[in-house]
Amino acid sequence: MTVEEKQPPAPRSELIGATRRESRRLMEGWWQRLSDAAADGRPAANVFVMGSAAEILHAFDIVTCFPEITALQTAIRGSSMDYLLAAEDHGYSPDICGYVKVDVGLHLKERRHPMGTLPKPSMVVATNMCNTYVKWAEIWERRYRCPVVVLDLPGWRGSGFEAGRDGFEADRRYVEGQLRELIGVCETITGRRLDIDRLRESMLAVNRLSELYRDVLAENRHRPAPFNAMLDGVNYMGIANIHRGTEEGVRFMQVALDELRERVALGIGALADERFRLLFVGTTCYTHFVRFLELFKEWGGVFVLSEYMTFAGGGIDKGIFYDTDRPLESLAEQLLLSSQRSMSGVFYSQDWHDQVVRDYQLDGICFHGVKSCRTISTGLPDLREWHMRRGDIPGLFVQSDLVDTRLWSEAQMKNRVDAFFEALQSRRLMRER
Amino acid sequence: MPMSAEDLIEECRELVEDPEFSAVRDWLDHHPGAKVLGHFQVYFPEEIAHAAGMLPVKLAGAGSALQIRQADARIAAFVCSIVRSALEAALSGHLDFLSVFVTHPICDAARHACGVWARNFPELSAQILYLPQNAGSSHALDYLRAEYARVARVIEQATGAQVTDEALRASIAVFNENRRLLRELYALKREAPWLVSAVEAYVLTRAAGLMPRERHNELLRAVIPALRARDARPQDKLRVVFEGGFCEQPPLDMLAVIQEICYVVDDDLMIGLRWLTDDVPQDGEDPLRDLARAYLQTSSHSPVQRDPRRPKEERLLARIRDANAEAAIVAAAKMCEPGLEEQVAYGQALDDAGIPHLVMEFEEKTRVFEQTRMEVETFAESLLLDLV
Amino acid sequence: MLVAGVDVGSTQTKAVIMDGSPRVLGRALVDTGARVDRAAQAAFESAASDAHVAEAEVDFVIGTGYGRYRVEFGDDQVTEISCHARGASFLFPGTSSVLDVGGQDTKAIRVGEEGQVLDFCMNDKCSAGTGRFLGAASQALELPLGELGKLALTARRPVRMTTTCTVFAESEILGWLALGRKVEDVLMGVHVAIASRSISLLRRVGIEPEITFTGGVARNEAMVNLIEQLTESPVNVSEESHFCGAIGAALHALDRVVAGGTAGAGADAVGAGGDAAS
Repeated sequence: MTVEEKQPPAPRSELIGATRRESRRLMEGWWQRLSDAAADGRPAANVFVMGSAAEILHAFDIVTCFPEITALQTAIRGSSMDYLLAAEDHGYSPDICGYVKVDVGLHLKERRHPMGTLPKPSMVVATNMCNTYVKWAEIWERRYRCPVVVLDLPGWRGSGFEAGRDGFEADRRYVEGQLRELIGVCETITGRRLDIDRLRESMLAVNRLSELYRDVLAENRHRPAPFNAMLDGVNYMGIANIHRGTEEGVRFMQVALDELRERVALGIGALADERFRLLFVGTTCYTHFVRFLELFKEWGGVFVLSEYMTFAGGGIDKGIFYDTDRPLESLAEQLLLSSQRSMSGVFYSQDWHDQVVRDYQLDGICFHGVKSCRTISTGLPDLREWHMRRGDIPGLFVQSDLVDTRLWSEAQMKNRVDAFFEALQSRRLMRER
Repeated sequence: MPMSAEDLIEECRELVEDPEFSAVRDWLDHHPGAKVLGHFQVYFPEEIAHAAGMLPVKLAGAGSALQIRQADARIAAFVCSIVRSALEAALSGHLDFLSVFVTHPICDAARHACGVWARNFPELSAQILYLPQNAGSSHALDYLRAEYARVARVIEQATGAQVTDEALRASIAVFNENRRLLRELYALKREAPWLVSAVEAYVLTRAAGLMPRERHNELLRAVIPALRARDARPQDKLRVVFEGGFCEQPPLDMLAVIQEICYVVDDDLMIGLRWLTDDVPQDGEDPLRDLARAYLQTSSHSPVQRDPRRPKEERLLARIRDANAEAAIVAAAKMCEPGLEEQVAYGQALDDAGIPHLVMEFEEKTRVFEQTRMEVETFAESLLLDLV
Repeated sequence: MLVAGVDVGSTQTKAVIMDGSPRVLGRALVDTGARVDRAAQAAFESAASDAHVAEAEVDFVIGTGYGRYRVEFGDDQVTEISCHARGASFLFPGTSSVLDVGGQDTKAIRVGEEGQVLDFCMNDKCSAGTGRFLGAASQALELPLGELGKLALTARRPVRMTTTCTVFAESEILGWLALGRKVEDVLMGVHVAIASRSISLLRRVGIEPEITFTGGVARNEAMVNLIEQLTESPVNVSEESHFCGAIGAALHALDRVVAGGTAGAGADAVGAGGDAAS
């Protein structure tokens, strides 16, 4: 989905556009598997992007369904409100997470989705990385009486806390114990024992995915940035989650990396005319996914990096190094580490911002709060204020929602974005003088 | 001259409505150099702070006592009032006595609060106590014991004191007595709600988190017999359970409106102070482990603490049954994600059980309750008419 | 050299004509109504006639405000944030902070010495703390908008409003009246609620004197008093506060002309992008 308008005549390279084709193919394949599972009742698990335990589920051939992804896909297709309002009619408040409501609506409407049919969950794996995951899982638990495993990942603990230290071993043992309990549930559901070699394969695939993904992120240090972190980046994330721990996932990330390197070599940027390099903090508005980016594109603004590409990737951005000689210990350790890093990255991210502003030569930060997601959005005004108080990084704060069109206001959004760029522009002119 | 029950209740009410925490400041005046730990809703093992000589204080929001001036600039618009008003209290200097602030992963706004506090008050130790959200795991107890030990280390660092097992056992005894007395108060509410009003029971309970617990024990020891001895007659009022006060607190005047119309025979207001439902062993070998076990085994329920062994709707139905209530008021704080989600499940379970219920939303800072009165009156009238 | 700024707001449209000195030669104010493009045209025409110049003599026109893209005869658009910053600095050269309370938006802006935007903050999507909240009060109390401030100043025991949501404002206002509180006390409560929200926005960008208060609500004396009390600082209010956005737009237009510009050269000047009008 790379933005390619207004580009110089397209250089002849098969690599350009390959990522997009490959991601479409993989997404269609995933929907086929979901629909097949819905039809034949093979085991399927509802899981979340932050802590999916995909390595274990794949080892059991359990189909993984990501309701966050299926919910956002209804918004991109313009039908999220049909589902969301059905849930509100059912008693859910206008003030809660829109993903939950879209999903409730899907289940009320016999799980028929514009892209296929969702399977009935045989089980659920949720983590505490988002507390709404837990409440969401309880909705399926009540509706389908299916087992729910809440993987409790004790995260960032506050002042002075460092991931991987300070009581880490006790936390790790807790996580490992829970993973063993999760394996027990999978064995009950599938009637099979865990094949430890399958688990190892899956873990090795995640190691390679993570390595490639980090290279992908690093490519955007180039000027112009070869991809838009809130367009192509969202796509990379989706495939990385759906295909975490599979060979296809690794292959996809290689295709993406090859294309990006080609783009860099040919000097093709995500925008033809890159004038402002920005960090995106928060989650985007899928109801106006393209429109939102256009507001920035009009000013030559490109999202070079996004916080979303860090916390929503199950730790692959920070590097995952599974030691398959001690698979479960290592799985617990890396899962916990990535949770602690992601959560401190959400709650206490000012230092990370400073660092990437330097590394990626950024001009400012766009903070986008969404009512649906208090996990990501609660402290954004404080973070923006923190940077402004220190006067070093210009920040724009805007709000809308993931899937609820009622929370999008075109005029207000455009006004704020335009004013931000006007200020960036005048700041640049004053500096040049 | 000994104070009457009414005087003591009035004292509690003043503390509840006092954004200055005067009883805490009083305590500090008498304990120079001592430290205060503030813990956000819902539950915190206060014994650990107490054992280090700290005063644990419950931060349950500022109600309508504070005008929000600065917190709006720090926290997104769609976040509940309690997270906002607690931060406002800190930003405006009303909590300048705190050395340690602890919040919990009860919801995403409360977890974020830790980051915001840590950024804005670098001199304060801002902490998250990760209470297990997988209470059914056989590994949860070992984990929680280790987490309590970590919190004890944080407290030791802040105070310079040691948290010894011996001190912990003594603290457990103090808090056991407090919980026993609170259970007695609630038993009275259930048995003879005409002897203690909802507002009275509420301020008596909440005061526990606003003064030294020893003093609160004394207070309850004096008040409860006096309440029992009151000369009051039962009225023909609907017996209801109020559910939805586990975190943000409904305004006193809202409870007053409800109690004019109904007897609130049980509730989950300030449930964290009553979370442990039985005594914790006072002579155990490993008191931290005893506290952790009590959290997991003999405890109450709320929408923000997951325990697959004991579904919340079943426990709500049990609360209603045990209190011999006829109906329930299922409330949620405005913008409270977990509370609003649970409301739907509770409503469904109550429908299935044929228990009449009123679903409502509240916000701690509201000051006008004409609409609440109309809703509750209509609800009660419709049921009383049905019963005739 | 002549330039114009046309500020198309949600309720009213303002236009000014300025010369290169720069000085305001003419001004006009019309109700926006349903036909935004016509309102813009009408305001421009009548400002030109107020300035005794022909429309065709005007070298560059910039549209601002919500309807800025409907100023079809304009040469470019700039947001009202940049325009209020510029206008406020022109009216009061010592300005560091600008508070603009408009009909549906409240803006807090920190400005640099040349009137450039250093930071800004606006109200949430709901109209909390905007002029619209006063509109709701005026309806609930059945009082004309222009008299609210004067009456509020007679309050002795203002109530404390708990909602700033316009939707709930009416019911809360009626609730207070039902409790027997005086109209002026309720009204002052409304003013305090808006002022506090506005100050909260100002705090986000940092309050630094001098503070200039612009927009329609700046004509409300109770609000000016409250802003001064809450910021503990005097506040600049101009007779022209209503035209601040239009003046800022005209000054941006002047920059373009000075930069040797036609519309196409806009990208080099402060405050607009070449393709912003697309």
